[in-house]
Amino acid sequence: MASRREFLTHSCGLGVAAATSTSTMLSLGFAREAAAHNHGGDYKALVCIMLAGGNDTYNMLTPYDQDQYDEYRTFRSDLALKRDSLLPLPENDEGRTYGLHVGMRDIEQLYRQGEVAIVNNVGTLLEPIDPVALQEGRARVPIGLYSHSDQQMQWQTAVSYSRSATQGWAGRIADLQGPELANGISMNISLNGTNVFQSGELAVPYNIHATGDGAQSIWAYGDDGGYNSRRKQMIDDVFSVDHDNLLRNEYAFKMRKAIDNARTFVEAMQQAPEIQTPFVDQRLSTAMQQIVRVISVREILGATRQTFFVLIGGWDHHDEVLNNQARMLPYVSYAMSRFRDALREIGVYDQVTTFTISDFGRTLTSNGKGSDHGWGAHHLVMGGAVNGGQMYGTYPTLHQNHPMDTGRGVFMPTTSTEEYFAELALWFGVAPSELDQVLPNVRNFYSPSSSETPLGYMMS
Amino acid sequence: MSFRVAGRILGFLALSAFLMSCGGGGSSTSGPTTSPVSPPAPPPPPPPPLGPNDAQLKAASAFASKSTFGMPYEDIVDIAEMGHEAWLDEQLALEPTSHLEFADELVRRRDAGEFKPADDGILLTITFWRGTWWNRAMTASDQVQQRVAYALSQIFVVSDIDLLRDNPPAITSYMDVLLEGSTGNFRDLLLNVSLHPAMGIYLSHVNNRKADPENNIFPDENFAREVMQLFTIGLFELNDDATHRFDAEGNLIPTYDSEVIREYAKIFTGLSYSGPNAWFGRWRPYFREPMQMFEEHHSQGPKHLLGGMVVPEGQSGMQDIEMAIDSLFNHPNVGPFIGRQLIQRLTTSNPSSAYVERVTDAFNGETTGVRGDMKAVIKAILLDPEVTNPSIPNSFGKMREPVLRLTALARQFNAECEDGLFYNNGYTMNYHGQQHPFNAPSVFNFYSPFHSPAGTLAENNIVAPEFQITTATTVINMVNLIDLGLFHDDRLFSPSEPFKPTNINIDEYVDLADDVDALIDRLDIVMTAGRLDDATRLRIKLGVESIGTEKLDRARHAIYLFAMSPSYVVEG
Repeated sequence: MASRREFLTHSCGLGVAAATSTSTMLSLGFAREAAAHNHGGDYKALVCIMLAGGNDTYNMLTPYDQDQYDEYRTFRSDLALKRDSLLPLPENDEGRTYGLHVGMRDIEQLYRQGEVAIVNNVGTLLEPIDPVALQEGRARVPIGLYSHSDQQMQWQTAVSYSRSATQGWAGRIADLQGPELANGISMNISLNGTNVFQSGELAVPYNIHATGDGAQSIWAYGDDGGYNSRRKQMIDDVFSVDHDNLLRNEYAFKMRKAIDNARTFVEAMQQAPEIQTPFVDQRLSTAMQQIVRVISVREILGATRQTFFVLIGGWDHHDEVLNNQARMLPYVSYAMSRFRDALREIGVYDQVTTFTISDFGRTLTSNGKGSDHGWGAHHLVMGGAVNGGQMYGTYPTLHQNHPMDTGRGVFMPTTSTEEYFAELALWFGVAPSELDQVLPNVRNFYSPSSSETPLGYMMS
Repeated sequence: MSFRVAGRILGFLALSAFLMSCGGGGSSTSGPTTSPVSPPAPPPPPPPPLGPNDAQLKAASAFASKSTFGMPYEDIVDIAEMGHEAWLDEQLALEPTSHLEFADELVRRRDAGEFKPADDGILLTITFWRGTWWNRAMTASDQVQQRVAYALSQIFVVSDIDLLRDNPPAITSYMDVLLEGSTGNFRDLLLNVSLHPAMGIYLSHVNNRKADPENNIFPDENFAREVMQLFTIGLFELNDDATHRFDAEGNLIPTYDSEVIREYAKIFTGLSYSGPNAWFGRWRPYFREPMQMFEEHHSQGPKHLLGGMVVPEGQSGMQDIEMAIDSLFNHPNVGPFIGRQLIQRLTTSNPSSAYVERVTDAFNGETTGVRGDMKAVIKAILLDPEVTNPSIPNSFGKMREPVLRLTALARQFNAECEDGLFYNNGYTMNYHGQQHPFNAPSVFNFYSPFHSPAGTLAENNIVAPEFQITTATTVINMVNLIDLGLFHDDRLFSPSEPFKPTNINIDEYVDLADDVDALIDRLDIVMTAGRLDDATRLRIKLGVESIGTEKLDRARHAIYLFAMSPSYVVEG
């Protein structure tokens, strides 16, 4: 990666005039592509934390300047946080100050250290939208806006124009990079069962538990030369049979594969070093700890690229948004920060990027008890390769009758999920020429041959 | 089955609850260990000269596994003798076995100090609803209604979020609504589900107030959206065979838009808990009666519903709701949308268009003259010729989901429980199968009706919803769950202390185990309904023989291999 970073540093030195020429941009794109495939023996991982249900991010990152805070409070009425409870972050590029929820002190610290970036008002889009066209009903928008199932799917698939997508963008990356390691274990590892995000044409996520050695094995199945060996033989025999019925065959296939993978995975995990960084016994924390252990045996597994998926539910706060977030945001903050410490401990922090996704933001206005389904939302990215301590995209300037307000304080996104994800995909080693395959709609927002990454929150 | 055990049940349970759980009779369809005590046991009648033949037994077994939580051999014989339709009619005419009554019984006895938790612990009331669910799945004689209600719980999804888990009447009274709906009319079911406090909490339309624009407060849209998207009509217009309709340009035709959602959100305002001293906005839930309307919190004025229906100004909130329920119930999508999903939950993941259309016809009242007659729908689904004679055999059938694999193992093998309660807190079920009734991760259930696993099935346009929760982890853990039930005493369920464990009884299979072929023949009736292929049969036989000649070992390993085999796990 050093070569790619150096190259881009140099390319910036070429000057603005040269960079605007099409041919230069193309050649820059090709050069980046060459760099992308030249990752040799290095390792990279993407860790996706899905806050399922739709995190109310206007209470995760809240305007702190008095004028904007007042607008915020007018919108939110009974859902407004107290201004003096917020953890103000350094002024952003536009001279604005925003405050994190008081439960996220660890994230505040990491932001100040330049290790966490915030991407503002991200959401599903088909194409850039003119607010006037949106108000007049002329804009094309994703199908199933405000619907959990659709928006959860679209955040995972990056396909917001169809309901038939069954592949996620990490699945498509895995398809491109060879979905499985040499030992047959998927490069996509899920702590929460099968998910669309990590499923591709061929790629299927490998599901592990957050405890023990992750993979479960069949009991009394093995090579002891006695009872266990006889059990192993009879089970292997039953699953060696071909069936005409395709569902039956699929089940047998899944079982054979699970048995093989479990053996390989457990053998690797048993060699994991002791991790000194403490984690608490909380679901997200335990899951993040397990991811560190898996990453620690990456060489034994033969992995140079891995993605991880963690889903943490319960964010659909139609009710009690204040109390629930006060309870839940701290454990996100805590788990991310311990994860950071543990990755540093095993020396791979620069090679692992962690990011959040969620169904949607929520209405700024209250339903009297909580907030309802919205659209754009703010998200966190953490890692040693993140250009942190900055905000990317645009935090909407809040005021009543805003042209971007689609009703009830639901602001249309100003940064597409495609841009948010393309930045990660390029860092992960997807070549610019492959970006269309990973993010089919990306060209509506970003030219893969561009010399710049879409948002700039990752070091190249 | 033993009278000794049954005697203890009778002493243990209140008589009324006992009669509910047994259907009040000695019918052999009453499931394991629930035969009532009848003093002194009369001599068994001489066996009839000719019982059902092998093919009839296998057909009855296939029918039972689609329509119940699992049936032991002797009940399969009964179904074969009686005939499927006659047996089904009898089932659908039974009084439903109430869940709420059992939960109340548990609470009453807890309060009376009858249950002593181990180690001075706290008796976990939060699992009472789960204990109730498993008791009913194991013992209720109205098996078909219980199974259909479970299917409905995967359409009208509520999940055990804190408030519902903490109150034993919450999910159990909701389950009673689904049970009533399994043989009632879909319109009543839809209304009862919409007004049930558990749904009010889960989709947050309880205490949902009319708009207060000055304070930027608007009605909650959650229920309004899901009642259309998931409970009645879906997102796009459908043909009667559940395929999509298209407009002149070849586009899908949405059934509703955001405007419509806002109108329905207004309809479902003003509801709060009923019960003693009810007042709007009360947070303490009351589950024993439907939510009630508080007019002053209900959005006034006309509302524009589907199909051009307009709710006039000036009528009561409940009149608004009745009209809205009618507008949904009468939408032509309901038959195919609900029918296809019920087919998937009961018989096959990939029904043919003709099969779906026949079920839609039943829903639309073409057989009975009554739209939404659930008895007619259930009969159409279970008795359809395609079920016994699939048009596309290599994609017919469905995977048994984890919950149904455990119920089937327990019931097919005569589960017994010393206290007769069959209590299960569900923890091992959830751990091994990543599934438990009323524990779906969202209102979108455990899986999508359209899930198609990447690879061969997706390439062939075959859907297999249950595969969405079939992972490298769960396929193995489900084998280990069977291991718990077969090879470890008292581990089939996970009862909390002081409830007694449940164990299967495989004596009748141990008796057969000197002759491995005879053992396999019997299991091929009860477990695989004649689907066992020759290659798998040979491998099971060799495996069982490799264990030795001890009959118990043989019987256990035979059942173990059957229960994990593709022929069993994917029903045909």
